[in-house]
Parts: sequence; structure tokens; C-alpha cells
Amino acid sequence: MALTRDEIKRLADLSRLSLSEEEMQRMEETIDPVLEYVGRLSNVDTTGVPETEGDALVRLREDVVDGSSDGERAAILSNFPDKAGDVLRVPGVFDKPKG
Amino acid sequence: MGLLLEQTIRSAADGLASNAFSSTELTKAYLGQIRGLDLGIHAYLDVFEGTALDQAHASDERRAAGKAFGVLDGIPLAIKDNILIQDQRATAGSQILANYRAAYDATVVTKLREAGSVFLGKTNMDEFAMGSSTERSAFGPTKNPRDLARVPGGSSGGSAAAVAGDMAIAALGSDTGGSIRQPASFCGIVGFKPSYGTVSRSGLMAMASSLDQIGPMTKTVEDAAVLFEAIRGVDKLDQTTVDFGAVKYETRKDMKGVRVGVPRQAWGEGMTAGVREHAEGALETMKQAGAELIEIDLPYADEALAVYYVLMPCEVSANLSRFDGMRYGQRETRPTLLETYLKSRSENLGEEVRRRIILGTYALSKGYYDAYYRQARKVQTLIRRAYASAFENVDVIVTPTAPSTAFKLGEKLNDPLAMYLEDVYTVGANVAGLPAISVPCGAHEGLPVGLQFIGKMGADGALLSTARVFEHINL
Repeated sequence: MALTRDEIKRLADLSRLSLSEEEMQRMEETIDPVLEYVGRLSNVDTTGVPETEGDALVRLREDVVDGSSDGERAAILSNFPDKAGDVLRVPGVFDKPKG
Repeated sequence: MGLLLEQTIRSAADGLASNAFSSTELTKAYLGQIRGLDLGIHAYLDVFEGTALDQAHASDERRAAGKAFGVLDGIPLAIKDNILIQDQRATAGSQILANYRAAYDATVVTKLREAGSVFLGKTNMDEFAMGSSTERSAFGPTKNPRDLARVPGGSSGGSAAAVAGDMAIAALGSDTGGSIRQPASFCGIVGFKPSYGTVSRSGLMAMASSLDQIGPMTKTVEDAAVLFEAIRGVDKLDQTTVDFGAVKYETRKDMKGVRVGVPRQAWGEGMTAGVREHAEGALETMKQAGAELIEIDLPYADEALAVYYVLMPCEVSANLSRFDGMRYGQRETRPTLLETYLKSRSENLGEEVRRRIILGTYALSKGYYDAYYRQARKVQTLIRRAYASAFENVDVIVTPTAPSTAFKLGEKLNDPLAMYLEDVYTVGANVAGLPAISVPCGAHEGLPVGLQFIGKMGADGALLSTARVFEHINL
């Protein structure tokens, strides 16, 4: 099934992506054949078939904080795109930032 | 120097052990080859001349003191750029990570470090491992060392080209739908995707977590087994790792008694005449060596690719939401948070990545989830059952690795579906979690053809043993 231009725009918004008109056009042209290809899945009879089976047991563990080495900490800080001292600086969450 | 560049891991380990050459000499030879060749091939994104020589020197000192670690001590390796090496740049071929430096070592890197390996550098790849040609790297394509007008395959094309071009003894790649095996096939080397759960993915940038595996790309099957032994094992940092116990290899000289499954669906139409000639020749070779060829029915062969192109984008859309320009990576600052997100992601994520994010977002969205994601998971169950039932009668399943030999740069770049069809023989093993290996089986018009062996879940040793015999009898 084909995706309309509006649907692609909505999906891009949901994915936090902006697309130019030209990119939108290309997405429309290239996504359709893929959806057509994967559409064959609907022809498979899956009545009574579970989504998973035979997977290894779910292995859970306590979520224990291990801490980081000084080197790891320094590397994480140095990757911040913007910071004030050792604190990560991000744009305001609200629409009208002060100053 | 030529001799140094013809080494396998095993032969180099012997040379180091007998003091025929040092790790420093070996490492210098490979760095020299990179300097001479890589301007034209572009297998590497970063080369670590300084630290590589330091590691080689340390290895030589250990050896001189009689404290060498083992077979990988002093061996120069290349690492795909989506695998983290602490303090080194890790871009995964994406502009959004152009200046990102890894904060920690991937578990596989820690293991190789503890084994004494030398890291020559990080190899080029399709952005976040999404592609089959390495043309989707933000830093330019890698060329096939066998023919510079052709692609090396992908997404681990840089690692394949590095090994094929004698710019590393061996390399690590990652495989989500064929990204180790298809480039290995195109470049004429061995590429092994182990059973899902055998190798920790901690420190591998996630693409589709339910399918991703790290594995060796080497000159011989024996080397693949050596690297696999070094990197495998349960890891508390990857909850999906499973203890399959010791790897059981078989010592066999021929293929007597080996039941080789030849799935009708894979050997029908869809491969080029050149691939067919060499792949069928390989079947004949195995038969001569005592293998029992059994034609089998493996239903849902085409559906496996469809399952993959639903599940993978769904996981991609979730996994890549972390690249938002906030805590690391490129940030394009705009007045509001929303605009900053939009700009940072759109300017720095490539078109193929964005296409898969949009596809995944669609398949997971309300009203379509049942038709796409849930149905794909159910068909995945049927595919797993189909393989399980096939393996009741055969020991190994054999197919071509890719439908064609290496294609020309640009040939499939504007046709995503044609590029996706490159994975048609390889995705099944990912969808079912099975171990699979590509071994060279000949060359058509000078371009390598790869043969794929798929094994039973967790039976990686048996698979490697069979592939090794084939490698030897096919010489």
C-alpha cells in the first residue's frame, strides 16, 4: 500500500526528521516498492503462530551502578556538544526560551 | 616485506613465536601497505600509526620476556567503525558522529586487547551499517581491491577491503542481514557470522538489536575460528549472550557422511550465471569429497527478506532515536529544542538511515503494528521452525552468499529495493539466529564468488569444521 505525502510528513515529524520537498518526493518513490515487497507477509497464514518461541530464557539481573573510570568520565564530558563546567547544556524545553 | 603481507593469523603467530619477525616489523609492513594503497581504496576511516606501533612494541617486549599471551599477541587487526575503541573516534560512517570519541572499549575490543592484538585502525562502512555496498558512508565509498570500479559490498566493506588488500591480517565486522558475509564474498575472503548470543555486542552501535552479531573477517576459515574463540563468551554487559559451552570442532579431512542441504528455493532463479557456475561447481566438489547432497525444501525464503525489512527498520527507528545532538554527536543549535532535534538529525543522518527510520516508524505506528511488526514476528517463528525441521535431515545448508559478484559503484545506489535484494541469501540466518559463514569458491571474470554455509543454532564449531574442509578441498 502506498504512503501519501501527508503520511510521510507525519512520520518524519514523529521521527524528528525534516525533509525537503525533493527528499519527500524521493522517499515516496523509494518506500513504495519496499512496502509492496514486504506486503507478501500478509499472504502467510499465521493462525495460531506465536510471535516468539524457543528463545533462550529471558535473563534478568539487578541493575547495579558500577561507576565509571576517570577516563570514561572525561571522555563522556568531552563529547558534550555544549556545556557549562561539567554540566551538559541543552536548548530550553519550552517554546519560548528566556533571553 | 611481501612475505609479511601474506600472513594469516596462524602463520604470523608461528613466525612471531619462532622469532622469524617481530610484531613491530609485521605492524610496520601493514601500516606501509595502508599508506601505499588506501588512498585508492579507502578501507580505513582512521589509522592508528602511533598506538599500533606502541602495542606492537609492547607485544615484542612481552615475547622477549617469555610472557607472550597466545596466538593473537602482536597480530595487527582492523576494527569496523561501529565498534568502540576507547578514546578513538567512532563514527559508524555517520556525519552525526564525525567528532565522537568512544568513552569505553567494546567487550570484543577488551578481549582482543587482553589477547595482545594490535589495532591498526577503524574501517569504513555504510552509515550505521545500513547498506550493502559501503557507498552510504558519510565519508565516501570504499573500493573493491579486486577492481577499483566496483563496490566491496557492505556494510562491513572497509573491513573486507582491508583484509583483501593485505592492509590487515584480519578484521572484525558486524552482520545484521549479511553485512559480514556479502562483503567477504565480494572481496574473496572468509566472513563468519556466529550464532546469535555467542558474541557480546556491548560497545557495538546498535542497529537492529535482535539481529546484530559481531564476527571475524579473515583470509582463512582457521583464522575465523581463532578470532571467534577470542571474542566469544557470556558478558554481563550484553544480556542476550548465551553460554553455548565449549566450541566443538571436528577433525575431518574429507566430507564423508556430511549431509549438505541444498534448498530448492535458493538455487532456483535469482543468481547470475557466473555465481551459479562456481556455486554448483562447489557442490560437485563436496560430492566428490564424500558429502551427501540433499535437496531440501526451505519454505519462506522470500518471506525472510520481507520479515527482515520490517523488523530491522522497526528496531532502527527505536535505536537511532538516541542520535539527537544532545549528549554527544553533532548538534545544530536552533532557538527551540524541537528545531534543534529536527536540524541536528536531518543535517547529519543520511538518506538511507532516514528512509529506514521512517519505514520503521510507519510499521510500528497505530493501526499498522499488527499488519507489519506482529505479522513479521509470527512469520519469523515459521522461518525458525522451517530451519529446525530442515536440520533434522541435514548437517549444514549451502547457498550462494550473494546473487552476483561485486557490482559497479553507483549501480544500485538509487534503487533501495535492488540494494535490499543483495541480502536475499544471507538474511535467513539472521532472522533465525543461526551461524553462517561465507567461503570463497572461485572467481568469475576475475571477481570472487562466495559460498555460504549455514549451521545449526549454537553449533558454530561444526559449521567452521565443515567450512574448513571445503576450503581445503576446493583449492
